[in-house]
Amino acid sequence: MPRRKPGTLLPLETEILVTALSMSAAKEGTFHGFGLAREMREQSRSRSLTAHGTLYKALGRLEQLGLLASRWEDASAAEGRPRRRLYELTGEGARVAERAVAEGAGGAARRSPRVAPEPA
Amino acid sequence: MRPERTAQLVAAWARLYTRGLPSSLARRRIAEIEADLHDQIAAERARGAGDRGIALSVLSRMVRGFAADVSWRGGAAAASTVYRLATAVAIGSVLFIFWLMGAVGIIGVEGDPADLMFFGVFAVGIAGAVIARTRPRGAPRALGMARALVAMALAQALVGAVALAAGKHEAAISSVFEILGLTGMFMALFLGSAWLFRQAARRRFSSEEE
Repeated sequence: MPRRKPGTLLPLETEILVTALSMSAAKEGTFHGFGLAREMREQSRSRSLTAHGTLYKALGRLEQLGLLASRWEDASAAEGRPRRRLYELTGEGARVAERAVAEGAGGAARRSPRVAPEPA
Repeated sequence: MRPERTAQLVAAWARLYTRGLPSSLARRRIAEIEADLHDQIAAERARGAGDRGIALSVLSRMVRGFAADVSWRGGAAAASTVYRLATAVAIGSVLFIFWLMGAVGIIGVEGDPADLMFFGVFAVGIAGAVIARTRPRGAPRALGMARALVAMALAQALVGAVALAAGKHEAAISSVFEILGLTGMFMALFLGSAWLFRQAARRRFSSEEE
């Protein structure tokens, strides 16, 4: 995993935000871990899904930065399967994602947009 | 090779690397991985993938994430330790003040009503902690606690200033030096705890607790 500069996002974190933004535009307000991994695989035309450790570490980091918020799915909606953790972009997360898209940082992101150093 | 068997292996690995972490943090990570595994197996089967291919994909995701899992655990464990230390310093400081109030009196002689002002400091801390509890667990809550402790330090400074303004330093048993010294010491304890809470937040104290 690339070394992080203070106050910046890793390419994977930017990719997550950009993917979440596109899912949000497709009326999917919330997303879960596997759904996100699958969407990222399709958008990047990759053959493999993002590894569990990499994905959930990045999601935790984005939540910590205040760019994502999460909650557990209602038990009634789970219909017998394990409950999902549902994520959604915060206002700040959407702004960072839009900036990344504007800078062409989606998909195989190379740039690391600056974010607030501390969660709000 | 059945995907369910490899999913069990991944879940076992998640239980292993979350062992010893705060239970809420560990439970969340394990539950999230289990839901992911279930969703992946169901989705891959629905699109017609064979069991062997699904199992290998599940296994591959686990192996490629090893380093991130270990790194995440390291950060979470360190942050958790710092958070507990910050809590211990805060509670210890309050108990210390409470003991001093009862044992020898802090401002003036034992039983001086001026000591009741310290209950105001405690009240500020309780209010701050209650507000912090409304924030998401992890870094946001740790930062909330840091602010609560800074507020306690400011309230403590106010207590010292009021004591001096009320002329408590003129009592035979008190002095300006003593009031300023004790005020400074209590403020240092609260600010020290606040600094530790901030460190906990900075060390990627995961907001994944639930």
